[in-house]
Amino acid sequence: MSLPMTNETATTEPLVFCQPDGRRIKLTASVVAQLLRYAQHQLTDKEAGGVLIGRYLCDSDDIVVDQVTEPMPGDKRGRYFFHRAQKAHQHAIEQAWQASQGTRTYLGEWHTHPEANPTPSGVDTGDWRRKLQQDQYFERLFFVIVGTQEVRVWCGSRKQAKLISLQSHPVES
Amino acid sequence: MASVQKYFDSFHGKIRLGLFDEEDTLRDKRRIVREKLLANLPDVFKKHNEKNLVPTFRDQGSYAMRTGTRPLDGDFDIDQGVYFETSTTDYPDPVVLKERVYEALNGHTKRVEIRRPCVTVFYKDGYHVDLAIYSCAAANADKKDYLAMGKVGSEEKYRVWQESDPTTLTTKLFERFDGDETGRKQYRRAIRFMKRWKDVNFVSNGHSAPRGIGLTINANSYFQPRYNTTTFVLDDLTALHELSKEMLSAFTSTWVSTEWKFVRWLSAKLLVTPFNDVYEKMTSKQMESFETKLTELRDTLKKAIDEVDTRKACQLLRNVFGDDFEVPDESETARATPAPVSTHSQSA
Ligand SMILES: [Zn+2]
Repeated sequence: MSLPMTNETATTEPLVFCQPDGRRIKLTASVVAQLLRYAQHQLTDKEAGGVLIGRYLCDSDDIVVDQVTEPMPGDKRGRYFFHRAQKAHQHAIEQAWQASQGTRTYLGEWHTHPEANPTPSGVDTGDWRRKLQQDQYFERLFFVIVGTQEVRVWCGSRKQAKLISLQSHPVES
Repeated sequence: MASVQKYFDSFHGKIRLGLFDEEDTLRDKRRIVREKLLANLPDVFKKHNEKNLVPTFRDQGSYAMRTGTRPLDGDFDIDQGVYFETSTTDYPDPVVLKERVYEALNGHTKRVEIRRPCVTVFYKDGYHVDLAIYSCAAANADKKDYLAMGKVGSEEKYRVWQESDPTTLTTKLFERFDGDETGRKQYRRAIRFMKRWKDVNFVSNGHSAPRGIGLTINANSYFQPRYNTTTFVLDDLTALHELSKEMLSAFTSTWVSTEWKFVRWLSAKLLVTPFNDVYEKMTSKQMESFETKLTELRDTLKKAIDEVDTRKACQLLRNVFGDDFEVPDESETARATPAPVSTHSQSA
């Protein structure tokens, strides 16, 4: 899904992606606005990242990402790398989970790339596979990369180690 | 699509007449009116030196069709057909027979009034019973039922016996669904949803709002059932979106002679005599606002279909259907999940 090139988001639209089984994942407008603020447009912009938090909806099994964490103290940021520490982000996840009687949970990770149409690096996919085995999550994990022109999403699960790239969901009029 | 069917179900439960005390009250009032008529009419006819006529009764309107909705203003009504076995030639002035009914009921409630199509009995708690007075088929040479139209003091051309067959209308409005119980059930729901939409979005005076019977006729023409044919779970959202879309595409440019111009018009032709358009009394401005509001409805339903978040979809639906459409808490619409743990991560 291509993005407005402006840094300031006048009216940010939510983003919706479609999984191969038809289930949709929506990044709310405020989440999209928050992610776009970290897009690496300038040569000096450092890579950023965090975790995705949100809900598995009853019946439809669609997913809404309504919160993301941002780089926090303890994280290491470079032009071409981001190392996220566990503690502060895990704390945010637990807070959301507890305050919602378990209905808001950890959904995955996001980070930025200084490229227009981002593709995951070997480091990325290696770490995603490790997380699919080591993290505690419900059904699936989603991995978002924020490029300078496009936001892309991949998904995997404990059983489905092959990472699948999700299609952005066209909204017909 | 967000799963909003559950919330359409509870909305339907709130707006339908039937699950509430009001319907019992309506039934009681209907019974009392019938009893009063049977008790008092003999004396009234005797006083006027006329042959005693014993009426028979038939339910009519949304009550008979089971498409009634709870009114927003608390003004509950029930339509009752009162059939007299007397010919239109025995009572050339139909208003005379209406006056006999009026006389038999007057003084027993807050107010009784002869209105053009009926005699209305008002109760002080906001309920009223509309009595449609008929000369029944058995007494007429052409074997047709005629409805007594006109008021005391109205010109002769407005005091007429009008051929009228509400029972056949009801049959015709539902025969499409013979053999499809689920479709018929959803059709009734769609009619109720459209009527509540009308009550919430239009002012109720004059002909500002499309009539309920008009929306019912439109649904008969344009509604298609949408449900899972294996589980029979209804999809009211899609059905209503398609209904509103079809209704909008049925608007055509129509010559309105009273205004001497072409206007965008949706008609709802009665399926029985006199086969008139039940929207005919609306002005072009009122029709224009009907089209505008229907467009808003269609667009909102589409947005709700596209919306992933159930709570957000319900908020959109509440905007068009009013406060009886419940907006659930976020936690109610999402799965409870086991405690999550996210380890550190590294990316490049
Ligand atoms: Zn990367």
